[in-house]
Amino acid sequence: MKSLDDFLSLVHSETGLSLTPSTVGADFDELPGWDSLLLLTLLTAIERETGRRVPMAQVLESTSLRDIYALTAQTVEP
Amino acid sequence: MVEKTDDTLRSLHERGRVAAEYPRVRGLVRGAGVAETRWAGNLLARIGADAVLAEHPDTPVVSVAFTGHSTVSGLVAPVTAELARHGLLLRPHVSDFDGYVFDLSDTASELYSAKPDAVVCLLDASVVFDEVPVPWEPEDVRRIFDEKLTLLDGLATSFAGAGQGTLVFNTLPLPREWTAQLIGVRDRARLGAVWREANARLLRLMDRHPALTVLDFDPLLGADLPLRDDRLGVYTHTEFSPEAHAAYARDVAHLLRAATGRAKKCLVLDLDNTVWGGILGDDGIEGIEVAGSYRGEAFRRLQRTARQVASQGVLLAAVSKNDLDPVREVLRSHPDMTLREDDFVRVVANWRPKHDNLRELAAELNLGVDSFVFADDSPYECGLVVRELPDVAVVALDEEPALHVEKLLRDGWFDVRDITVDDLKRPERYREELDRKDFLHGFSSLDDYLRELDVQVRFADASPAELARVSQLTLRTNQFNLTTERLQQSEVAERAAAPGSLVLTIRSGDRFGDNGVVGAVLAHREGDELVIDNFLLSCRVFARGIEQACLSAVLGHARDQGLRSVRAGYRPSAKNGKVQDFYPGNGFRPAGGGTDGAPTLYRHDLAEIPAPPDHIRLTLSLGGLHQ
Repeated sequence: MKSLDDFLSLVHSETGLSLTPSTVGADFDELPGWDSLLLLTLLTAIERETGRRVPMAQVLESTSLRDIYALTAQTVEP
Repeated sequence: MVEKTDDTLRSLHERGRVAAEYPRVRGLVRGAGVAETRWAGNLLARIGADAVLAEHPDTPVVSVAFTGHSTVSGLVAPVTAELARHGLLLRPHVSDFDGYVFDLSDTASELYSAKPDAVVCLLDASVVFDEVPVPWEPEDVRRIFDEKLTLLDGLATSFAGAGQGTLVFNTLPLPREWTAQLIGVRDRARLGAVWREANARLLRLMDRHPALTVLDFDPLLGADLPLRDDRLGVYTHTEFSPEAHAAYARDVAHLLRAATGRAKKCLVLDLDNTVWGGILGDDGIEGIEVAGSYRGEAFRRLQRTARQVASQGVLLAAVSKNDLDPVREVLRSHPDMTLREDDFVRVVANWRPKHDNLRELAAELNLGVDSFVFADDSPYECGLVVRELPDVAVVALDEEPALHVEKLLRDGWFDVRDITVDDLKRPERYREELDRKDFLHGFSSLDDYLRELDVQVRFADASPAELARVSQLTLRTNQFNLTTERLQQSEVAERAAAPGSLVLTIRSGDRFGDNGVVGAVLAHREGDELVIDNFLLSCRVFARGIEQACLSAVLGHARDQGLRSVRAGYRPSAKNGKVQDFYPGNGFRPAGGGTDGAPTLYRHDLAEIPAPPDHIRLTLSLGGLHQ
């Protein structure tokens, strides 16, 4: 997972949501069918893809997928 | 291989065709690994039952309410995936966090109003430890676990009064987080003992609550399986890891499959390199491996497992590419064989394609191929059966015989809540039935045959000991089942106890032996009419006049009790087409119904009651119908 595009394609595969760089900042409240379970599914997938641990407590406090990308991108890039 | 390599659930998903091509999903999910199955569960749960039903309205659906003390939503996707492997759709109803006490004790709760087929109440150690003070001792744990057992006992009682279908509890696995906090090893041992004693009592609740099933979580944890993911536990109150959810979901799905009448009935084994090591045709009787050597012991283990499974009422058959005579000789006289000819209801050894043999075997046993589980070490044979007979459950063994047993048992194909006395006698009865068929070939007409057969039928009120068997008939009988109404044992007992209601069993026997309880009739009185709720007969004894004899007896009984008519219904299913004319063919007249899934209704005015077939010796003991 090297770029925002990789991230968005992972989001699509794991959660079924089709997002673009311009909609990735949408608040979770605006995403159809979004729930904490989808979030956890996504986190597990991110950890599997990156081989790194995601700071889960912080992720759970985030409000959009862009926040999550920012948090997990930190863990990807050395 | 049979499937093309791009033929995966992912490619279906990318083309947006999952719901449209849903009948293929079962095969695709069956072949998936652990990670793929998890992904498939998430996908299928998102798509949902309704999208599939819009395309394929006949797909069977199981509705399940999930509740518990911790967060239980993580169980939905794995159960969706496991049910998909069995061709079933899930309609989930997920309760709020820590909702189980309210859900199950309040008969007006949303859970009860959803009328689910099953309620899965997921239990974990936090049920107890959330109430244990700090600091604590094993005695505190014992006391609180005791209180919880009383609570669970009460909830099972409430469920029996208000709910329908099946309630599922599980034993509480003990995470190391708790044992390791006790630094005295003797205290730790006391905690372990207290915990297991409480779990044992939880398991025994099944003996007192017919609608309850308690699944034992411990055997699932033997494999390389983390019980918890601490981050999920701490941050989301999800007390089981995704891997533990998946393993538990598999057991739950087996239970749901059985509770909806889809337990498998017959295990069909290949022989060469499945039951014994080596190729009989090449290696000879002396050369095959069945004991003693490393590989021989692996095959012996498989044989002992097959024999154990068969001893509980599963029919065992062999279908092998071999000449019959040497196979018979191995089964009769090889000194080290565990399985013998008598363990099999049929041994088919010839050179025809296996799917043809399986089809024929199904016809001989009067079963659908969908009640077969077929195990073979050859990818070619497995692939061919998957393609030709997609309804057969195929267990693909491989060249490592030490793994045969795990593969065979992995999917709990034959799991049922209760084994009845009839189950234990089933293999013998099927063997007798095959003898009967051979006997039939010697007669010029069916009438001569039936007269020679000397059929005896006892048609009587069900005894308490027979209620489990009646429930099982409603769950397992698919062909001679006029309404396909599935009833748990507790529901049968309720009807048997209700005034003006009849639960009747049909026992039959003939010159070849006793058949036990082969059928049931459920009926109740409405004013001056008797309503037949369902009429069931095992496929072993169709078309011998037993059904006509019993129907005639019901009509006669209704007249004797002063009633004016008998009403009955037929609700078509995928499998009961052969009995659609049962009532009109026996003097009933159409009486409406038959639209929007309601049964087609028939009525008999009791003016002319057909006599029972005269080749049957009928004994009656039918109870009163006072309301």
